[in-house]
Amino acid sequence: MTDDDDTRTDGVADMADNPYASRMVEYTPYAVAVGMQYVSSSPGRGTILLPWRADLVGQDGTDILAPGALTALIDHACGLAIMAGLGFEAAPATLDLRIDHMRPAAPRASITCAAHVYRATRTIAFLRAEAWDVSPDDPVAAAQAAFTLNRRGAR
Amino acid sequence: MSNPVDLNAIIAGSPFCRFLNIGVTVDERGVLASLPVRDQLVGNVMLPALHGGAVASFLEIACLLQLAHETGSTAPARAIDISVEYLRPARRENTFARAHIRRLGRRVAVVHAEAWQSDEAKPVCLLQSHLRLPSGFVPGE
Repeated sequence: MTDDDDTRTDGVADMADNPYASRMVEYTPYAVAVGMQYVSSSPGRGTILLPWRADLVGQDGTDILAPGALTALIDHACGLAIMAGLGFEAAPATLDLRIDHMRPAAPRASITCAAHVYRATRTIAFLRAEAWDVSPDDPVAAAQAAFTLNRRGAR
Repeated sequence: MSNPVDLNAIIAGSPFCRFLNIGVTVDERGVLASLPVRDQLVGNVMLPALHGGAVASFLEIACLLQLAHETGSTAPARAIDISVEYLRPARRENTFARAHIRRLGRRVAVVHAEAWQSDEAKPVCLLQSHLRLPSGFVPGE
């Protein structure tokens, strides 16, 4: 990711930083239940780690995190990216989410997901996200999402 | 179907299904999956609503169960992609799901699923998935 992505992104450049964005990971019951960990955020961007855990494995004997565990991680990273720029009052709700599973994650691998808002209007945010086990250059999954939001004063 | 698959055994073999506490029954319409409500599943404490990721993963599991039920194969299919649409917030209630196989090829299945709570006519979430079938899979076998 390059530094100039943010400034070119329509409806995102005017976002303010939300210093409390990590709370959306640390205080959401399901995020806590699956063990998500806040990594970083900046306006329109959010990164979350899902540490490997035996009870989140899809099938006994594989030691690979269930795809469904990734679904929640990706959805939550998208929510973090929005709230990191628009605050909690943006109250984002997922409209649709598409995930391509490019390859299975490695056994016992933790997964990191980075999401970014590439366009935001007053009522809708469009996001892309990628999830990887070892390197962001070799993602296990890529996603695209649209969220509704409540954004005062923007068009 | 000549050889019904034990869906409870599939759930028992999946730590993540056990984590979600997925339930399953089979009736004349096919597989009925259930996701019992609990506080840990909440994604929005203000509404409150279940986490969209929890509901979507429940639907992914419903697709796999329906596929196993209809094909009689316990070899796991793998999601190539999923597309989820959220129609309304999933309230803090028990959630149910059914999946429908729209196409069963040799390598890929197209499966749709929907989740509802108190009223099946008002689904909270829809999911479409392409699933990669295990190698050596023969439809109808």
